[in-house]
Amino acid sequence: MEGDHLWYEAAHVVGITNALNVAADGLAALPAVTALLPPVAEGRAGDPAGAIFAEIRAFYARGDVPPVFRLLARDPFYAADVWAATRRAFGDNRLARRFKEALAFAVSLTSRSEWGTGFHLAEMKRLGVGDGGVMEVIGVTQMFSSYTKIADTLQLEPDMGDIAPVDDSPAPGGSPR
Amino acid sequence: MPTVRLRDASEYPEPARKLFELSKAWFNHDFKHPPAMSRVMAWDPEFGGPHGRAMKRAMAPGEWSRGEKEMVAAVVSGVNACAY
Repeated sequence: MEGDHLWYEAAHVVGITNALNVAADGLAALPAVTALLPPVAEGRAGDPAGAIFAEIRAFYARGDVPPVFRLLARDPFYAADVWAATRRAFGDNRLARRFKEALAFAVSLTSRSEWGTGFHLAEMKRLGVGDGGVMEVIGVTQMFSSYTKIADTLQLEPDMGDIAPVDDSPAPGGSPR
Repeated sequence: MPTVRLRDASEYPEPARKLFELSKAWFNHDFKHPPAMSRVMAWDPEFGGPHGRAMKRAMAPGEWSRGEKEMVAAVVSGVNACAY
């Protein structure tokens, strides 16, 4: 794998995964919150969120809409943009969707997101990742959760600050340097 | 600055120096000195040995490629806010 585009795609997955996890675990999963901010019910006639919900069900091939999206749909215009970013980040591109789900699973596990860990594990399995593949991601996540803490505890400095080659290619749509 | 003195490779016993060479081949790097983490992990072979074997097993190509696993490692490090 080479090229910055792969890293941009990975970063987008990391970012939007964390954004969804924050709202899923911190809001949608808490009865005390949903009592005050009820998620939008699915199938409510004439609801402007209906089209978004239909896309979400189709994208994830499931019959229901995860509560986090229904909570965000209290502002359907905001929810539409969050969903568009999510769909873009997770869609097949230079990185395959099944690998993006593995990244999201690793991010969710690392950040202890109960919703994200379960959701992205289910997505990995749905998209054909086997038990061995899941365990490989768990292994990498666990090992690098160890190395990072050892490095931080000892305040180690990076060994490889200078190895990335200069990349003069423009950002998408930008002007060449 | 590290909170410990990172020992020069020459200060380690021969078995550890052999591991540094194996690690160099595994990571395909050309650093003048073994990476700081390699030297830290070699400090106690009874910890670093099994930890390193677990890492190698986790990172070996399987259902995911080595490159994909390096990317998973990078995002985990990012979430852990680890600059190393």
